[in-house]
Formats: sequence, C-alpha cells, structure tokens
Amino acid sequence: MDKNLNIIGKSKPKLDGKERVSGRAVYGHDIELPNMLHARILRSQYPCARIKSIDCTKALGLEGVKCILTAQDVDVNRIGYKRDHPVLKKDANCQRDEIAAVAATSKEIAAKALNLIHVEYEEIEGIFDPFEAMKEESRQINLHGKGKDLYGNKNIAESFHYSHGELEKQTKRSKVIVSRRYELPRVTHCCMATSNITADYSTMDGRLTLYASTQVPFLYQRDMAHALKMDPSLIRIIQPVIGGGFGSKLDMYPFEPICALLSIKTGKPVQLLYGREEEFLASPTRQTMIIDLTSGADADGKFTFREVRITMDNGAYTSWGATTPFVMMQTYSSLYQVAACDFQAKAIYTNNPFAGSFRGYGNPQATFSIERNNDLLADELGLGKDEIRLINANYPGEITGQGLHFKTCGAKPALTKVIEASNFIRKNREKHKGRYLKGVGLASMLHVGGGAKIYRSDGCGTRLKLDHYGYLDIITGSSEIGQGSETVLAMIASQELGIPMKHIKVVNTDTDVKPWDVGVHASRTSFVAGNSLLGAIRLMKQKLDRKAAQLMECEAGEFLYENGLIKRDKKEIRIDKVAREMHFGSPNELCIVEYFYEPESSFQDKQFMGDVSGNYAFASQAVEVEVDTFTGNVKVRDVYVSQDVGRVLNPMGLQGQIEGGVATGIGYALTEEMIYEKGYLMNPSFHEYKLLTAVDMPDIHFYPIETLDEAGPYGSKGAGEAPLIPTAAAIANAVSNALGIEFLTLPLSPEKVLKAWSEKKQNELANSQSI
Amino acid sequence: MDENLIPISFTINGEKVSKRILPSLILIDLIRDQLQLKGTKPGCLEGECGACTVLVNGSAVNSCLYMAVNIDGKEILTIEGLSSIEQPLHPIQEKMLEHGAVQCGFCTCGIVLTTKAFGEECKKEGKIPTRKEVKKSLEGHLCRCTGYVKIIDAAEDYLTHPSV
Amino acid sequence: MNFNIESPTSKEELLNCLRNHQSGYFRLAAGFTDLLIELKKSKTEELTVINLSQIKDKQFTGIDIQPSGIRIGALVNVAQIGKNQSIRKSFPVLQQAADALASGQIREVATIGGNICQASPSGDLSCALVALKASCEILKMDGTIRHESLNDFFRGPAVTSLQKNEVLKSIVIPANQTNKLKSGFIKIGKRSAMECSIVSISYHFQLGADAAILHSGIAIGAVAPTVIFCREAADFLHKLNVNKIHETDQLKVAELIQQSASPIDDQRASAWYRNEVLFNSAKSIFEQD
Ligand SMILES: Cc1cc2nc3c(=O)[nH]c(=O)nc-3n(C[C@H](O)[C@H](O)[C@H](O)COP(=O)(O)OP(=O)(O)OC[C@H]3O[C@@H](n4cnc5c(N)ncnc54)[C@H](O)[C@@H]3O)c2cc1C
Ligand code: FES
Ligand code: FES
Repeated sequence: MDKNLNIIGKSKPKLDGKERVSGRAVYGHDIELPNMLHARILRSQYPCARIKSIDCTKALGLEGVKCILTAQDVDVNRIGYKRDHPVLKKDANCQRDEIAAVAATSKEIAAKALNLIHVEYEEIEGIFDPFEAMKEESRQINLHGKGKDLYGNKNIAESFHYSHGELEKQTKRSKVIVSRRYELPRVTHCCMATSNITADYSTMDGRLTLYASTQVPFLYQRDMAHALKMDPSLIRIIQPVIGGGFGSKLDMYPFEPICALLSIKTGKPVQLLYGREEEFLASPTRQTMIIDLTSGADADGKFTFREVRITMDNGAYTSWGATTPFVMMQTYSSLYQVAACDFQAKAIYTNNPFAGSFRGYGNPQATFSIERNNDLLADELGLGKDEIRLINANYPGEITGQGLHFKTCGAKPALTKVIEASNFIRKNREKHKGRYLKGVGLASMLHVGGGAKIYRSDGCGTRLKLDHYGYLDIITGSSEIGQGSETVLAMIASQELGIPMKHIKVVNTDTDVKPWDVGVHASRTSFVAGNSLLGAIRLMKQKLDRKAAQLMECEAGEFLYENGLIKRDKKEIRIDKVAREMHFGSPNELCIVEYFYEPESSFQDKQFMGDVSGNYAFASQAVEVEVDTFTGNVKVRDVYVSQDVGRVLNPMGLQGQIEGGVATGIGYALTEEMIYEKGYLMNPSFHEYKLLTAVDMPDIHFYPIETLDEAGPYGSKGAGEAPLIPTAAAIANAVSNALGIEFLTLPLSPEKVLKAWSEKKQNELANSQSI
Repeated sequence: MDENLIPISFTINGEKVSKRILPSLILIDLIRDQLQLKGTKPGCLEGECGACTVLVNGSAVNSCLYMAVNIDGKEILTIEGLSSIEQPLHPIQEKMLEHGAVQCGFCTCGIVLTTKAFGEECKKEGKIPTRKEVKKSLEGHLCRCTGYVKIIDAAEDYLTHPSV
Repeated sequence: MNFNIESPTSKEELLNCLRNHQSGYFRLAAGFTDLLIELKKSKTEELTVINLSQIKDKQFTGIDIQPSGIRIGALVNVAQIGKNQSIRKSFPVLQQAADALASGQIREVATIGGNICQASPSGDLSCALVALKASCEILKMDGTIRHESLNDFFRGPAVTSLQKNEVLKSIVIPANQTNKLKSGFIKIGKRSAMECSIVSISYHFQLGADAAILHSGIAIGAVAPTVIFCREAADFLHKLNVNKIHETDQLKVAELIQQSASPIDDQRASAWYRNEVLFNSAKSIFEQD
C-alpha cells in the first residue's frame, strides 16, 4: 500500500483533548438551561410487587414541585427491541423499576418530594434463578413477553440455535472430550460520568431537543419517537461530551423518555442525573451466564467439535444483552478451527435487573469457557497449551463453518508473538514454592473488525465542507465517546487532503446536522466512518482536481495534496484558492460533498450463516500472575497483548484502547461483581464494587500485528473491544497454572482462591495420610 | 431561612470571594452550582473516585466530602485556575495530552490537580518520586477508560522533570 | 441532607457549644469523611453539627513530642501523621497504617480523632494505636480531662465510652523504652489501594540489645466487634529473640492471635476467610524472607 503515509501511523493527541484536560468540555452534567427543572425517579421498594396505590398529594403540595408522573398519567409505548418494557410501571418486576417521576425547581426539592410519595405495595415472592423461571409451574414474569408462542416457554425472552458440521461423527472421532459448566458474574460499566439527560420541549413548535449521552443517536431518535408516539423528525438529539460509554449507551432506557415526558408536561427544560448509587442500581449490566460447554479434540490435537448450551439471566425486561449470542456463536463456531459446532442460547426472564450490552458483547464470557476447556484438552492430550492453540489457529483465507471469511488473519502471528514475548513455554512448566506462586496463562479471541450487520443498515454518512480559507469540516454521522475516533477521522482527512490537523474540525453531535449512522458499537467506528470519509474525500478530490486543472491550465487527472497545496510536477496551487475559485468562478459551486458508505458485509440468514463483518480482528494475550497463598490475592504482573489491527492508524490512541480494555478485563477476572440477594443489589457503590486503581495495574506489553486488510481504511480493522475479551480467560488459566486448581467461575476473588487452595492442601494431606 | 446563612470569604483561582451559604453546603456544590466552575466533576459523591478533586491551601482534597464552611479564609484552586490567557495549559496538562492519557476525560481534571499537589510536595522535600510512588499518588482516582498506564506515564514524566 | 452547623474556634467556644446543645440532638465532626457519608444516607432533619475543624487550640491540632511519649491532637489529620518524622522513626506501625488509609485526598482531611471515635473495627489508625497502648485524653464539658486507655475506650462497633458531654481532645502514645524496634502494619483487602481492611494486624516490638522482645504490642482489626489487643500473644513473645522465633512458636503466636478474634460473615468476607487470613498473616510477621 501507499508508502508515503506521513500522518497515518504516527501518534496524534486527541483532537479535543485540550478542552477535556482543561475542564472546558461540557458533559451532560454540566448543562444548565434557563428555567431548568430537576427530575428524580422513584424506584420500587421491592424487586417484585403489586402496586395497590400511589398517592402523590403530599409531594405535589411541596413548594417547587412542578410535575409528578406515574404510569397512569402517560400515554406511551413500551420500549426495548422486544417492546416488553413499560416506561413507567404499573407493577414492580425488579428493583430498578420506575414507579413515579418528579420534576421540581431544585435537586433538593425533587429528592424531598420522592420521600413524600406514598406507594402501597403488595410484595410477591420473586423469581431470581433462570432455571427456576423455566419451570412449568413458575409464573410469567414479563406479561408482554412472547416466549410461549415463540419458544414454547413463557419465561424465555430470546432464543438462538446455530449449528454446523456433523456433531455425532466428530464426537466419535474425538480422542478426548471435556465437559464443564461455567458461571460468569454480573458486572457493570461504571462510566465515570453517571447516566444523564436534559430534555427541552418547546410548546411553540412541538419540537423536542434532547441532550443525551447516547452511542446511537439515530436509533435513539427513532426509539424515542416510538415511545412518545411522536414524529421522529421533531426530535433533535444533541450529544454532549460523553463520560464513558463501553456499550452502556447503546439502548434507550426508561429514564430518558421519562425526562422527555416531564419536559413535555411542564413546557420547561428538565434535567435528570443519576447519582452513583442509582447508576449501580439502574444502569445496564453484563448479564450472568451459565455456560455448559463440551469440546473435543482428536489424537493430533485438532479440535473436533463444540457443543454449548447457554442460559442467560435476562432480567425482567429485554435490552441488547439478549442478543449477545450473535457474537458468541461466532466465537464458538469460528475461534480456532472447529469441525462441528452446536450452539444454543436462551435468555430467561427473572426478577433481576435487565441486561444491556457491554464492550465485548458476550464474547468475554464465550472466550472464557472455550479457553478454559482448551487448557483442559491440552492437559488430557499431553500437549503444550501453546501447541494446541497453534495447531488449531485460524488462518488467512479460511472460511469457517459459519461462513465467516478471514481474508486476512493475524491469529497465528499474534499467538506466536505472545508465546515468545512472555517466555510462555518455560514459565508454564516452572514449579514454584513458598508463599507466592507464579503462573502463566494464554487465551485468544476473535471479534468482528469491520462492523456487524445486525441492523438493516450498518452504514455511515459523511459530509465534507472546505471553506474559503482552507479549513475543513468533517460532518460525520459517527459519534465520539472517548475512544478517539474523531482524531482518527481528522488524521485520515489530513493525510488525504494535505490539510493540517489544526485546520480540521469534526462535527458529530447533532442529528439535525449530521447524516445517518448506526452508532458506536461492534468496534466499527474507525472502520465504517473511516471508509465513509474516504469515499467523501474521493468525491471532493474529483471536484478539486477538476478545478485545479482548470486553474493551472493543465490536463485533468490526479494531483498531489500536501501542506495545503495541490500539486503536479512543478505546478502548484493553494487549496483554499481552489475552493474560492470554485465558489466565485463559473459554474458557481461550493466545495461541499456528501457520501454514504454501506459495508459489503451480508445479513446472516435464518440459520445464522454468512459473512457478517467487513473483516475480523484476532488477538492473543499471555498473562503472568502471582498468587499469594496466604490471602488468595491474585496479582497480575505482566500482560502481553498481540492483536491483528490490520494497520495501526494512531499508535497512541490504539495503545490507550488496549490498556483500557485490559484493565476492564482484569477487573472482570478478579474483583468486579454485582452481588444480588433476592433481587436486591448489595453493593451499589465504589466502596463495595471494586474497580482497579493505578496501584493495581500491571505492565502491559503490546505488539500490534498489521495484516493490511483491503476492506478497512488503510488496511485497518476495528480494535476497541478486543483487548478485554481474552483477558479474564488468560488470567484464569494463569491462576490454574500457578495453583494446579481449576476455576469454573469468576471473579477469582481472594476468598474463592484461598478456599480452593486450602481444600487442595487438605486433600493432599488426607491422601498422604491414607497411604 | 436567611438568618441561617453563614458568611464565608475565600480565594478561588486567585480571586477573592465572599458569600453567604447554607450551613450544610458541600464544597462541590458551591463550586459547580454557585460559582459555575464545571470542570470539577461529580463522579460518585462518596470520596471514592477523585473526579471532584480540588486543591485547598495547596492540598488535594475531595470536594464532595468537604464542607463549604471550612474553606473560610482558605485558598481554593480548581482546574479552571490552571489556565491563563498567557498560558492556556499547565505543563501537567500538556504531558497528559502528549502521552495520550485523556480518553473520555471525566477523570482527568482531578488527576491533574492531584499531580500538581504531589509535584509541589516533592519539590518541597527535594525528591524525585519513583514510579511506584507516582502510582501511589494516584490511588484516589478511578479511571474506567485508560487503564491508568498513560496517566502514570504522563504524571511520571512531569514529576521526574521538575524543571519543566 | 440539611443541618445546622456551629464552628467553635477555641476550647472555650467548644465547651459553650456543648453546654448549649446538651438537651438536643447534635453530632461532632472533624474531617467529615465518615460523618457526611452517614448523613447523606440518613433522613434526619433538625440536626446540629458541631464542627471541630476550625478549633485553633494546639492541644487539638498539634503533635507534641515529650520524653514520656507523644501527644497527638484529635484534629491532626492522617496525612500529617504519615509524614511526621518522629512518628516514622519511633512508631512505624502508626505511620504505615496512616499511609495505608484511603487515598491522599482523604488523608488530607480525615483526622485521627475521627478514626478513633468512629470506632470502626476496621479503623486503621485505631488498630495501630491499640498495639501502641495509646490512651485517650477526653475533655469534659466542665473543662476537666478524663483519661482512658484506647483499648477500654472501644465498647463495640461504632460504640465508645464517650458521653454526650465529652469530646476526644488528644491521644497519648507512651515513649519507646528501647531504640531497637520491629514494628509494622499488615492490611489485607481486595485491591492494593483505597481499601477498607478485611483483616489488619498491627505489631510493635521493642527489642533489647540481643534482639529479645522486651515490650510487645499486637492488635488486630476487622475480625471482632472492636479492634482487639492480643494480650496472650504479646505475653507469649516476651523475651524471645525476634530474629530466631522457631517455626512452632510462630504457629503458636498465630494461634493465640487467632483465638482473640471473633469474626463474622459479612458482605466483604466470610468469617472463615478472615480467620484463615488472620492466621496466615500473623504467621508471616516473623518469617524471614
Ligand atoms: C472513601 C473512603 C475511604 C476510607 N478508607 C478508610 C481506610 O482505609 N481506613 C480507615 O481506617 N478508615 C477509612 N475511611 C474512614 C474515615 O476516613 C476515617 O475513619 C477517618 O479517620 C475519620 O476521620 P474524620 O475526621 O473524617 O471523622 P468525622 O467524619 O468527622 O467523624 C467520624 C466520627 O467521629 C466523631 N468524632 C470526630 N472527631 C471527634 C472528636 N474529636 N471527639 C469526639 N468525637 C469525634 C464524629 O462525631 C463521627 O461520629 C474511609 C472513608 C472514606 C470516605
Ligand atoms: S465525586 Fe468526590 S470522590 Fe467521587
Ligand atoms: S478517561 Fe474516561 S474515566 Fe478516565
């Protein structure tokens, strides 16, 4: 590919970094509109209850209270892609249920008003275990669920079945078969900025402006319109600076239409901010899963089959969490070569909180189970844990059982790299003595790298505007949520048009202005928005080339764009001059173009066969841990990450994504867990829900693999989700290596580790005595 | 209600301010709601995340757990106080950008201020901190985006080049 | 959260404040790091908080070093304790406990008096101070001082002997009688920082010329309703050479320490885990590595 890249591939600081580092950036929490009211939501006192009455008289009497809404007061549609989620509830189905909402002139008054609303409940015994919920005699948890008709059980919210290959034959061929049940915990995003929205309805023209921290503004606009029974075009979404997304802002949740309704009813701007406790209680989660995985390998170590049954706790309503099997089935069918795969996943309604999407989208769970089983298969076959993975690694040109086509594939180079860099082979065999025991673990992952066709369009629009002075506006449908996509877009434009970075502005926060885009998910933004931008640049260059040729009186054709100049041979002209001449010369036109890019990926068929993504990302991680056998604490010492990113666009930005992902993966492996008891969250604070601190961070060694995939901008692939996907699996493998103990659940809390260790010691003692 | 208000005088970002405040007012609310300085962020309001960090007489404290009455007679520095017309960014802020330590940025301003206070403390003691000490100095800050590595790099770079 | 606040600036004003409020509900506060969290959750209205943090009196705010010992004012903050050179030299266990408490931002405001009066079984300074056999100087409303050993001061979780008409003024740590020390603080939690102890152990041994333990103090935190002084373990170690404690004696000490604990299951750890870790950590005190 082009060797003269002078911007792409060089580290560039974040485009609006100065605003963020100086406190000038305006986040949702910082918005203040004239006459703004403050809203609060009253949530259910019980995870499961009938509501007999709600009395708001006292609260309405409080000075400063402007509006109180309950289910009775609103005419709205249910939300969520299954439309099974009422915005305000008539009965309580989980602890986060919205019973009433208040708008008042101050935060304090709104809070006080909540205490004055009197709700009479009749508590009902909830169902918190998905297996319990599936029993015939259990009551229907979500009355809007269609499980009975669609899947033969009233409490099934969603169900997937996928298979390829001949399972029976492959089972027979297997020399070893490993069967395990894994249980993964419920965790949450912990965005540093809590959920927030400011709604501003104008009674004059019936237009609704929402300052909303969403990752998917256009889907959000449509969902909001559906909920409120409004015309989507009357709703304008403005995205303030977003304090963390990670998948949490992929859906619309009840608090958002509630805030809009309060604004519509009062005719005033209304702001709703979550406190941290409310964020824990009421923002989305990565759901718990129970994974039964059986995998086999033949005498040569080749994987023969995987049979997997997944039970997901869907919670009381359905959000995107229920669709994570789309991603998981790719991992089961195609991470390493597998001759046969049979995959079933069910999302089951319970009275727990509902499950949203979270960076990795089911893949950390799936990868955990596969990579644990792989270690066990290797052990049974007497193969090295590195060997079994290398034998089965994916390869360029592979078309997997599911139909994923790996036109480029860095799986093997990535594996080889981390095995070498971590000294895996030697360290995996080393035996340690004493209080601190070391171990190493290995895991790989496969994820979509070029978007994923799950909505009818996976595209992105771009509008480019070059002004009279040579400054460029990139008006893109895509969104920035901190991941640095804006910077990459500016780098691409700078590279292609020779315009300095500081003359480029990215406009991407207003649905009234920007063209359509499906949103930030599936690690797609650099890929899809990048390709869309490149398409627009091609159009703009055609325009500029034509005009430049005319002005320089030379033949039409391609020019070189550099340092604000358009050149060929010895001739050159300033780009701003060309833009001006375009406007003032004839035929008078502006230097504005528009392009829409739709990736070539295909929609999967009913059997989920098909090439869903423009390309695929591969990664491996090797992790070294040290376990304190006195306390059970696991310290991650080093993480070696190698990832096929296609091409590195912005090394510093990429590295930041890697480190952030790995940190979240370590938390998932070791400390994070939302503890629920009978539907109540027991640890809704940072005090009890432990995020890692700077002091806990290991050294992270990163080795990008560049496979230059044709489909992506400059050969790049999506990279945002991959780094956290294999981390927990690698850590669990490392801890097993250190202690010689199998772990089937996460997190590997000190207590769990110590318990397993002392049981092992006791058994050893008993065995030695019995001999 | 009014007779309950308590008069306080303090300096914030170099400016003298006198106010009458509710006794139970918390510093973060004074800063964000009354003084309209929005760079001080509410991350948890329970002392756990450090997003709300400001300097009181040069020491980094969580403004979400600090009573506004107790700033009477003291000097407050918020992130806005680091920028001037002549020098829009403090060297710590430059380092944060240079090292790619800023992603969503919600945690950043607090970290910049803690690093400033720590730098001054090191200067007073005439010491250059080790990487371990730099990490320890950041223990009161949570960041969900970066995994801390680049933040530690940036702070270390600043703290070990005291002349800058 | 809405309360009234009174901020005395001297001992006299403080005593006046106390007198004025004897008939009503009031709370004392110093650094507010515990109290604010509590008040934010409570629905109490009509509350007066007596804000100690503006008192200028050195008896409350100073660290005073005397031949007989060191007196630390109740309003001294945790950061000051961590940085104080005399404390670093003479009472490493206290300095280490201070450095391990919360975060830099909290340490700047959290006070030693607050840590003690909160009477949390996992209070880090409390644990170190019990091992150091510290005592409390309590100011009564009539201006007199009541003395009480810290060990006796703690009566239960969040319960102390403090009466409504009393304020903790200062803490006194008796001076070391020898110069050679083995002194340290072990804190076990789930992560390496910002952690509330799941188990903590404070130890402070004063050694003779031959490294024999002449005076010993051991205290444990988060494993009983209060911080516990481990008398049996301390007595057992008397006269033993700190560098040559035999493995069976190490186990004996660990056992004795464990026997003084009575942990319960809670959100953060089970009683089983606390017992195990207490035993293992106790054992590790004398392990040479
Ligand atoms: C995020 C966070 C992390 C924490 N981590 C730790 C930790 O790691 N280890 C630890 O030990 N603690 C920890 N704490 C608890 C707390 O910071 C300490 O207990 C601190 O020392 C309390 O001091 P304070 O001055 O803030 O007390 P305050 O909140 O002001 O008061 C605490 C209690 O003591 C009473 N009181 C205060 N001073 C006096 C006095 N002089 N006389 C009589 N009564 C008095 C008050 O009435 C109140 O009941 C943490 C707290 C937070 C918010
Ligand atoms: S907002 Fe103050 S520490 Fe989190
Ligand atoms: S950059 Fe987002 S929390 Fe730190």
